[in-house]
Amino acid sequence: MSALDRLPSGRGDTALLAGIACLLVGGLFALTPLRAELPSALYVFVEVGITFVIYGMLVLGLDLQYGHTGLVNFGHVVFFAVGAYATAMLAAQDTFSGIGLGYPWPLALLVGVIAAALLGVAVSATSIRLRDDFLAIVTLATAEIFHSIFVNFEGIFGGNVGILGVPRPLAAIVGDADTRMLATLLVLGGFTLITLAAVTRLTDAPYGRVLRAIRADELVTRSVGKSTITYKTQAFVYGAALAGLAGGLFALYNGAVAPGFFTIQVTVTVWIGMLLGGAANHRAVLAGLAIIMGLRLVSRFGLSVTPVSGDVFAAFRLLVVGLILVAVIRFRPAGIWGDPQELGVDQ
Amino acid sequence: MGLLQEAIFGVVTGSYIAIAAIGFTLIYGIVNMINFAYGEYLTLGAFVGFFAASAVPGPLPVAVVAAMIGGGVVSIALARGFFTPINHTGPVPMLLTSIGLGIAIRNAIRLFGGRSARYIETETATFRFDAVPDVPIGSVDLLGGFFVTSEHLTVFGSAVAVFLAVHLLLTRTDVGIAMRAMGDDESLARVRGIDTQLIRDSVWVLAGVLAGLAGVLMAIQTNVSSTTGYSHILQILSAAILGGAGSPYGAIVGAYVIGLALAISTAFLPSSMTGLSSAVAFAILIAVLLVKPSGIAGTEVREA
Repeated sequence: MSALDRLPSGRGDTALLAGIACLLVGGLFALTPLRAELPSALYVFVEVGITFVIYGMLVLGLDLQYGHTGLVNFGHVVFFAVGAYATAMLAAQDTFSGIGLGYPWPLALLVGVIAAALLGVAVSATSIRLRDDFLAIVTLATAEIFHSIFVNFEGIFGGNVGILGVPRPLAAIVGDADTRMLATLLVLGGFTLITLAAVTRLTDAPYGRVLRAIRADELVTRSVGKSTITYKTQAFVYGAALAGLAGGLFALYNGAVAPGFFTIQVTVTVWIGMLLGGAANHRAVLAGLAIIMGLRLVSRFGLSVTPVSGDVFAAFRLLVVGLILVAVIRFRPAGIWGDPQELGVDQ
Repeated sequence: MGLLQEAIFGVVTGSYIAIAAIGFTLIYGIVNMINFAYGEYLTLGAFVGFFAASAVPGPLPVAVVAAMIGGGVVSIALARGFFTPINHTGPVPMLLTSIGLGIAIRNAIRLFGGRSARYIETETATFRFDAVPDVPIGSVDLLGGFFVTSEHLTVFGSAVAVFLAVHLLLTRTDVGIAMRAMGDDESLARVRGIDTQLIRDSVWVLAGVLAGLAGVLMAIQTNVSSTTGYSHILQILSAAILGGAGSPYGAIVGAYVIGLALAISTAFLPSSMTGLSSAVAFAILIAVLLVKPSGIAGTEVREA
């Protein structure tokens, strides 16, 4: 029994309640004159925490695709990027480069989610029938294509500079930096928790059982009359839409998007988090992601106390991250909290 | 620059991609994994070649041979350490392992080699052909004057030599015939008394040797840095899948298609968008998987 198993798991209701509570407290900070003060030592934690909750949405979507349905999507970052770019381009005002249309941000966010979902539909329509490892390659290639499109079409996507001047709804109503960061963390964390509740509901339902059946044996699932392609497409599109939502929220939090935020590194981080925690277990993948993101904290502190350059340190961190991925697959293929039997990796 | 010149560049690019793609596709066909760390084997080969060339001021072939031996040793060592122990787990865990290993090796090289690019000094003779008439169509010149350097000829000649050697190996030697048998059906091959682990090891060595050669040729053409191989891995992969995963002959054709497509798209794209030419390779890859997923040589990669 690990500590995580003892947490209450009332079909994701706890997550839903916690998410709503986070949103309410975040809203309280945002809308009332209530102010928070953060000790400066905590800044870096809040900052990494915000990235963590955004990536948390990515890992939940990816877990729906890989952990539950067995779809090996190794280009998850592309849906994140498309959601972010669509939101940014629709909402941006007076961007320095690229297109900014200046529509209200809720509309832009909605379009961002739809754009990512549509890309998900396109990718799955063309590639969902491919063998696992080839699906991985196609999704990876899709991500690379979009990355070079974002970099090369400067008139539309702003090239390496990206799209600036994206409205930041929270920053607009909260003046001081401390309160703003805390409110952002709470609001985005609330979104992630509500996402957790939603995917838990989905996968606890008979629907989720079909998804896991597909992962375990697609032929058997088809033989009992389930249209596996339909289910796989749906799971893929849900994951893509979640990534789009994460991207849109990222754009509205960050105030700018650029190709540098959407490299293959994001995909790798999310994948390692999922495998380390244990695929097909929603809270485990979040915990695994937290461990990997914790490494970022370590490296930030480490950077300030060691005399090496940032570049050397970054290389060293990635070296460790790569070896962690190798070690997890070799020695703990079900992850820390995963169920080896369910994942079919019994040794 | 005329299209003819771009086509020559395309053939040169296609040549070193072809050498690497043969190794890649052999691993795919016989070990049954997509080895995403393969680009790093090229980088390591390029580094071995660079250090051999600067340590021993001998002729270039010495550096090339050193790179090939280095590539083979690295390949078998990594395979023994990382891939053979998880051979039974199936393609996805092996693909993920190779991705992790690739990141680790790439950054280890960056850690020790730094980020700067190194150059292998070679004496180059350039043969110019300026008398060819221009045949302009729109903004693109179909013929035009062109040049070929001795480096280009070295790369192309090495590629042809490799094609012949691999062909003879696969058709005339016991180990090559055993490789093809294993690619067709591993269980049947074992029943016939083939030592499958030995054959797998020989494939790793062969793929490493080819990676070392491709890496050092790439290094002579461009430069040596921690991303020398990684920047080509998706092209190698596209070439291998385009040719029909697992088929060395298909990989050769696929590599030249990719090389020419890259070069010619550079000619047609506006100069601000030349970065898109790499996307062209992946667009071809996706189109192939859509229209004829079995590739030129016809290996099925779809499940349902």
